[in-house]
Amino acid sequence: MSDDRDMPGDDALDRLAGEYALGLLEGDERAGAVRLLAADEDFRQRVARWSGRFAPLLGEVESASPPPDLWARVQRAITPGPLPVPVGAEGSNVVQLRRKVNLWRGYFAAATALAASLALFLVTRPDAPAPAPRPPEAPLVAMMSAEDSAAKLVATYDPVRESLIVTPSAGVEPSPGHAHELWLIPADGKPRSMGLFVAGGPRRMAVPAPMLAELKPDVTLALSVEPEGGSPSGSPTGPVIAAGKLARI
Amino acid sequence: MADNMDHAAAIRSGSEEGRRLAGTLGAVARGDREAMADLYERTSAKLFGICLRLLGSRTEAEEALQETYVAVWGKAASFDVAKASAITWLAVVARNKSIDRLRQRRPDATAGLEAAADIPDSGASAFDVLEDAQEGERLSDCLEELEDRAGQAIRAAFLDGSSYSDLAEREGVPLGTMKSWIRRGLLRLRGCLER
Repeated sequence: MSDDRDMPGDDALDRLAGEYALGLLEGDERAGAVRLLAADEDFRQRVARWSGRFAPLLGEVESASPPPDLWARVQRAITPGPLPVPVGAEGSNVVQLRRKVNLWRGYFAAATALAASLALFLVTRPDAPAPAPRPPEAPLVAMMSAEDSAAKLVATYDPVRESLIVTPSAGVEPSPGHAHELWLIPADGKPRSMGLFVAGGPRRMAVPAPMLAELKPDVTLALSVEPEGGSPSGSPTGPVIAAGKLARI
Repeated sequence: MADNMDHAAAIRSGSEEGRRLAGTLGAVARGDREAMADLYERTSAKLFGICLRLLGSRTEAEEALQETYVAVWGKAASFDVAKASAITWLAVVARNKSIDRLRQRRPDATAGLEAAADIPDSGASAFDVLEDAQEGERLSDCLEELEDRAGQAIRAAFLDGSSYSDLAEREGVPLGTMKSWIRRGLLRLRGCLER
């Protein structure tokens, strides 16, 4: 094959489409291809053709189970509501909630009163999605802490959205190479993962449908430190830095 | 989670599973939420595998997977059963979402600009290939015909999300050398596939 100088224009364009389809380009080169993609139907078709040519390779990739709460996240993102849910971000009502939550971070001592007001907020907030078909149950709250650990969190179960709002007030910092995983420990004592808790602020975590029935008073929530990506074994492997029992408000 | 389908089986456009999935995707295009749940159940493990392989981090792969299904919900109507199998269409959407993330991850001069631009989805809208089981073998044969390093580099780019600079570094060759290997390889590959 020829080098760049002899290459007819079509081949140069097709080659660029192939490079883009493979994802090889970075920086300015990628930005240029992205602009071309937006502007030029011919280029778009060339990229599509290359993607189609390489697509059979994806058959080699091994499947992996996504976390159980991911479907709930997708569902929320595609459910129309009064406020659009941005892709890849939490809903803006969560942002609103986070603002409110931020107001009372640091007042952990008054946690019971705070949890009660949060519960009220959850039940009455104006932008709640369409009500669930059955009447909402009472919210639950767990104050999570542990001896020898600075971590303190409040976890509140929002029955309307079937999710937990986990608000750290101290001692839960992002740490490279590590992840925080939230566990539910029902009466049988076997921890079930509720997913990874991303440190840095309050988070809403969808409760996987099969675990909804387990969320009741006296069930323990625990936060452990795990390797990046979460516990490899499905049970906590690192230290539990905070735990607490759910209670009705 | 129900069993995810076998990719190779699904990709055979004539297979029953492939037809069923194309039907499901058609229902999703009409806004059928139950079909969407069904689609997720049958394809999420495959697509999560792709995101995870490319991104390497579970957290990022989860976000990419979420974006993938949101995109699928929004534009399932652009899936054309005459042009691609449903699983391939979905797999390419997942791959594109992952590559977008991968390339936005690195701080560089255009990162902000790129993040701001809504990257159009090539590849997800049209394929001019009809895949069947032979299509994969054909591709493998053609990749093998390339000089060793070009074939391997192309596979690594597509499956692992390696960029030109990643590949050059890994092979210990100048960036320009890697580019000319791959560029030559791409045109030879096209020639071989069209033969």
